[in-house]
Amino acid sequence: MIHLVGCSHHNTPVELREQLAFSPQKAEQALARFRREFPQVEAVVLSTCNRVEFYTAAESPEELLSHRQMGEFLARFHQLDADQVLEQLFRRSGQEAVMHLFMVAAGLDSMVVGEPQIRSQVKQAYDLACRCETAGPVTHAVFQAALKAARRVSNETSIHRKRVSVPSVAVAEFAKQIFERFDDKQVLVIGAGEMAEETLRYATDEGAKHITVVNRSLDRAEQLARRWQGRARPWDQLLDALAEADMVISTTGATEPIVRLEDFRRIEPKRYQRPLLVLDLAIPRDFDPAIGDCLGVYLFSVDDLQEVCRQNLRERQQELPAAVEILKEETAAFMAELNRRATGPIIHRLRQNWQQIKDDELRRLFNKLPDLDPRSRREIEYAFHRLLNKLLHPPLESLRDHAQEGVPHGLLEALRKLFQLPD
Amino acid sequence: MHGSLLWIVTLAYLAALLLEVSRIYFRSQLRGAALVGLVLGGLAAHTLLIGYRWSVLHRDPFSSIFDWCLSAAWVLAVVYLYLTLYHPNHPIGIFTLPLVLLLQLAAATVASREPFAQSEEARILAAVHGFSLLVGTVVVFLGLATGVMYLISAYWMRRKHRPPRLLRLPSLEWLQRMTQRCLLLALACLSLGFVTGVVLSQLRHGYINWSDPVVWTTTLLMVWLVAVAVFILLYRPARQGRKVAYLTLASFLFLLVALVAVFRAPGHAGGQGAGDRTGSALRLGTIRPVGSLPEGPQP
Repeated sequence: MIHLVGCSHHNTPVELREQLAFSPQKAEQALARFRREFPQVEAVVLSTCNRVEFYTAAESPEELLSHRQMGEFLARFHQLDADQVLEQLFRRSGQEAVMHLFMVAAGLDSMVVGEPQIRSQVKQAYDLACRCETAGPVTHAVFQAALKAARRVSNETSIHRKRVSVPSVAVAEFAKQIFERFDDKQVLVIGAGEMAEETLRYATDEGAKHITVVNRSLDRAEQLARRWQGRARPWDQLLDALAEADMVISTTGATEPIVRLEDFRRIEPKRYQRPLLVLDLAIPRDFDPAIGDCLGVYLFSVDDLQEVCRQNLRERQQELPAAVEILKEETAAFMAELNRRATGPIIHRLRQNWQQIKDDELRRLFNKLPDLDPRSRREIEYAFHRLLNKLLHPPLESLRDHAQEGVPHGLLEALRKLFQLPD
Repeated sequence: MHGSLLWIVTLAYLAALLLEVSRIYFRSQLRGAALVGLVLGGLAAHTLLIGYRWSVLHRDPFSSIFDWCLSAAWVLAVVYLYLTLYHPNHPIGIFTLPLVLLLQLAAATVASREPFAQSEEARILAAVHGFSLLVGTVVVFLGLATGVMYLISAYWMRRKHRPPRLLRLPSLEWLQRMTQRCLLLALACLSLGFVTGVVLSQLRHGYINWSDPVVWTTTLLMVWLVAVAVFILLYRPARQGRKVAYLTLASFLFLLVALVAVFRAPGHAGGQGAGDRTGSALRLGTIRPVGSLPEGPQP
């Protein structure tokens, strides 16, 4: 059995999410404390910017904590009012909790649907629980199944391949369509804004090495250049740097274009029409749009890139039903397996019990018939074996059938009582 | 036997082309394997066909226009297979397989199977002539494919459109590099073919017949390629972007004119036996066509 309480961007204000959030150290402390307080119960804490989720599980329902107990534990750990916390938490159990985790791991419950980072965050949460020894048979099974389901969604749909942030679209959808490699390209960063840095991160991930930063404040340019092992150049060398560049990321706060068509015309002969990708991420724009018509220039503004982001988001939404269908399949298969596992101990004891009876009866029979030849003994043993299997087949089949829809507690109890199986 | 083989090969490439086109409509994880399987199957049959003609009928890859087309298609199909394995997510086949099929269809329909007469003393020179023209032609065809891909991709980029995901082409940089290399390699190979052709003609006749359409169209192609080389050498921007693609496209048109002249030349199509036609040494892979020789083992 598995229980979940949590809060996410869907239903909880950011203030409470912040109060309930766990840093990796805090999550470790919480799991250690949980283990001391509830040694029989498995637990995993998943905490990201947009969600805090607390999963607990146990093999038998009696050992499992209630949602209230889980909420109280969270409130106690964060020194918050339990009732206030409980009011804001959503609750899931059994199949619903499993489906929810699968949706989270596949990025379908994320603020930006299909974002791929969540899968590694789920893996980190599970790894932490393993390290803190609060993961057990049920959480091992459910988290591993969640990661497998997320991989399936990633492989069988294109939901993760469609990027939705401006910097990622700029590099993955356009820069990579123009350049085969980035390690020999001159990347010029104009301005030192956050967007420039994020775009630069994607470009360096692709291998960009030669980075030049030009900013009105040379100090800030040098700081940014140091962070990215690039070099800074003073503002008055902007056009020289542009003549050498292959890719430009521009994000200044200038109110007028900083590169006008006539400026570009001056350096154009030095470029010999070499391809130039300009990612003008500034508002208002840093580059005169007419530069986009010059030979070899591919100029993209924020609007161009945002349009692609919107298209990608729409395409992700279109992929959603297929992804949900995969997760439904995976959840059903996982629950059937989990329920089958729950019936395992009873089946095992029932078989053991009957096997014992069969062995005793065979022993008694062979004692009475000492002159039996080996072949006859084998035939008799085989007949008893078949008889046992045929007798056990109908009840076990019923048990398996019922396990498809949930743990058949009634049937298990009946079997335990009817055949006086020990606990 | 080789008639059926020819159609089997053509159908295999056609099926591969249809699979490539299906990228536009749906995603499939099996398509890549099916494509490679089909092309490998087609290539195996293609190799069998060329091998059969060479070993049983004693027709080497340059012995007739038919064999030459078959060999050129084979080389282009091998290049396509390599590119598909190198760029499995790009529909390169949509641009290269039609050219393979064009050569196959030319072989099946209009190419003459009459062998060229080859003098023993110029055998090696003739082989170099045939081989260099074959490689040059394949490279121009490949340049056409990469040039067209470049223009389409550049068109999308200039209009700030993201190419459809299932039709995403290799990067502009890669396409430009390939197109440029094709152009330069074509120049080298076709020049070698042209020069060997001139030498062969001089050896045989002592002069070149400039009124022969094959001669002047081939010369025109050479003049064009040399002009392109000079242009690229002297004007640096010509090495960039769409200019390279346009130059390759124009080179293809010049080559096409030369090929049409070869296909239409008397002695190739109808077996008129233009044995002593002057200047015929400049024909692709030819020394001199002999219409009277039957297809079959040669002495």
